[in-house]
Amino acid sequence: MPEITYREAVRDALATAMRADDDVFIMGEDIAEMGGSMGVTQGMLAEFGPDRVRNTPISEMALAGTAIGAAMQGMRPVAEIMYEDFLTLAAEQIVNQAAKVRYMSGGQISVPVVFRTQGGAGWSPGAQHAQQLEAWFVHIPGLKVVFASTPEDVRGLLWSAIYDDNPVVFFEHRTLYPIKGNVPEKIEPIPIGKARTHREGEDVTVIATGRLVHESLKAAEEAESQGVSVEVIDPRTLQPLDDEALVSSVKKTNRAVVAHEAVTRMGFGAEVAAVLQYQAFDWLDAPIERVGAKFTPLPFAPVMEQFVVPHAEDVLQAILRTVGKN
Amino acid sequence: MPTEVKLPRLGQGMESGTIVKWLKSEGEAVQKGEALYELDTDKVTQEVEAEATGVLLKIAVAEGEVPVGETIAFIGKEGETVEVTAPAPKAKPKTAAEPEKTKDESKPEPEQPPASSSTNGRIKASPLARRIARERGIALETLRGTGPDGRIVAEDVERGESKPAAAAAPVPSGQVESRPLSNVRKTIARRLTQAWTVPAFQLTVDVDMTRANELVQKQRELNPNVRITVTDVLTKVCAMALMRHPDMNVQYSEDALLVYPSADVGIAVAAPQGLVVPVVKNAERLTIAQIAQVRADLVSRARDNKLRSDDLEGGTFTISNLGMYEVDQFIAVLNPPQASILAVGQTRDLVVPLGGDLKVLPVMTMTITCDHRAVDGATGADFLKTIKAFLQDPGLAL
Repeated sequence: MPEITYREAVRDALATAMRADDDVFIMGEDIAEMGGSMGVTQGMLAEFGPDRVRNTPISEMALAGTAIGAAMQGMRPVAEIMYEDFLTLAAEQIVNQAAKVRYMSGGQISVPVVFRTQGGAGWSPGAQHAQQLEAWFVHIPGLKVVFASTPEDVRGLLWSAIYDDNPVVFFEHRTLYPIKGNVPEKIEPIPIGKARTHREGEDVTVIATGRLVHESLKAAEEAESQGVSVEVIDPRTLQPLDDEALVSSVKKTNRAVVAHEAVTRMGFGAEVAAVLQYQAFDWLDAPIERVGAKFTPLPFAPVMEQFVVPHAEDVLQAILRTVGKN
Repeated sequence: MPTEVKLPRLGQGMESGTIVKWLKSEGEAVQKGEALYELDTDKVTQEVEAEATGVLLKIAVAEGEVPVGETIAFIGKEGETVEVTAPAPKAKPKTAAEPEKTKDESKPEPEQPPASSSTNGRIKASPLARRIARERGIALETLRGTGPDGRIVAEDVERGESKPAAAAAPVPSGQVESRPLSNVRKTIARRLTQAWTVPAFQLTVDVDMTRANELVQKQRELNPNVRITVTDVLTKVCAMALMRHPDMNVQYSEDALLVYPSADVGIAVAAPQGLVVPVVKNAERLTIAQIAQVRADLVSRARDNKLRSDDLEGGTFTISNLGMYEVDQFIAVLNPPQASILAVGQTRDLVVPLGGDLKVLPVMTMTITCDHRAVDGATGADFLKTIKAFLQDPGLAL
């Protein structure tokens, strides 16, 4: 099993699909010569040429609309939105067009487009370049939303997203690009809508996404040394959500912590908590804990940024609260 | 002059009621006819309406059992005061914790579980703790919560159930050792006492186990990694027989006979802590080898005291096998709310008259105990006949 970075895993999924299939192409701001602002598409222009690795003007709305139009014509475009903060500019196209066309055409037109984007704090990009906006898109019927946290998952899920006949908003985390992990020799598609259990445990289930998966695994290790056995699950697909995996785990452990980097208030975790309390009510032995960013724009100052977003220690404290140990 | 609110007699024969909670708090305005508090009688829980309009001046009994006619609160005009003449309820709350408001008036109570998890009559307990308490018939009021803010969590219920009775203080009693009742012992006592109130009948048959023993041997050869026993074959056979006799796969309840769709077969296990009956779910759909695997897992966890509550829930039938203790036959006590239980003795060689000749056959004697409220004698006999036929010719179970 080769070891590759998360960044290489994204590139591998894109390049492999483009080699296999002429309908797949990529477009975005500075993705060609520059190789993308995060270096994900480096080298792809040389292999696939400017028709299939398309630089676009700096207009997210135009770029999203173009990708959607191409998808409606039968292509499988993967559009890169440089920062997920800029999804707000493309929201009209994604929310009002891509998500609705299949429904409004009575199923006659499908929109097999992927919007790849990245975000996240940890490197002081300031308030407009580090948000986690997945909750905006999980709320829209007609969109699928993926947020992968490991090289293996990002590659297998991006592949499935490209070949899904519905629009997929595909979140990557800025600080995960350099992390390494083993992946299968050949790409193994990972079905959209299936959670992954990273670690099994008996006392508390931590449901985490993106960077917080890694923070939660650290917290779980620390909790273990304090005698608390922690299960860590990454839903990987936020929409549709693998209710069954989450609920059955919580029925086993009787306690849950939901962790993401996005702002806690009204976040994705709130929906997960609602699903759990409804489907596992009689199994809960403690209130469901949520871990996320404080309700404030992200500060630029590194110390303040660290203060606002959650870390392993926050997850650990939440775990300990559920078992009444702090 | 404030109006006294007295506990009403809501039905014939009602001597007392238990105040569950107040729907108005002290100082709140009350309209005549408005729901004032919730009252639990031995029949129902219901809301009781205020009989006067005004301000709820004083709640004299916040919760607990109160005799009919006792003053439980006062309604009057705003600003009026009430002389509290120590309204200590005559009937002491049986299980309910002492209301906090009257606590300071009474002398310190030894061993009374603190009502720390109770606020305004609402007891703080996790949903899981509530479920376990409900299933085991434990009153939350008797428990002390150790969770955040005094919340009762599952562990407190488990602990509460195994807590020795308050009176079990060390008695220097010459020869008699007073062992606190364990959690499991208490459950056994409660459930089997309950079983004793059920009208039951027993039926006994002898079974020629030649073919069943051969089946066990063959199954062992086919599944060298699983330890297959007669109990596994019995479990399968009983499950198939239950499917043929849906009238046996039932539970009696007050207002209906519950007919279960699958055969969830409990197996009585003698664990170090006492008798437990983990359940092999959907046994009719499992192969004998699968049953053996599930059974081995349940038994080993039962011995390690690691069964979860759902391992013990939902059985529709129980098998109790004392063959390994060389018991020839016995009568089992029902495992409520299940409608029947099969007591299985050892298989031993007996001389049996057969076709004018005498033969030595491996014979097993089994006795079924049935809840007569749910099942009649002929139904039970028919079922037992099917089990016997399946054991003597396992192919019939297909």
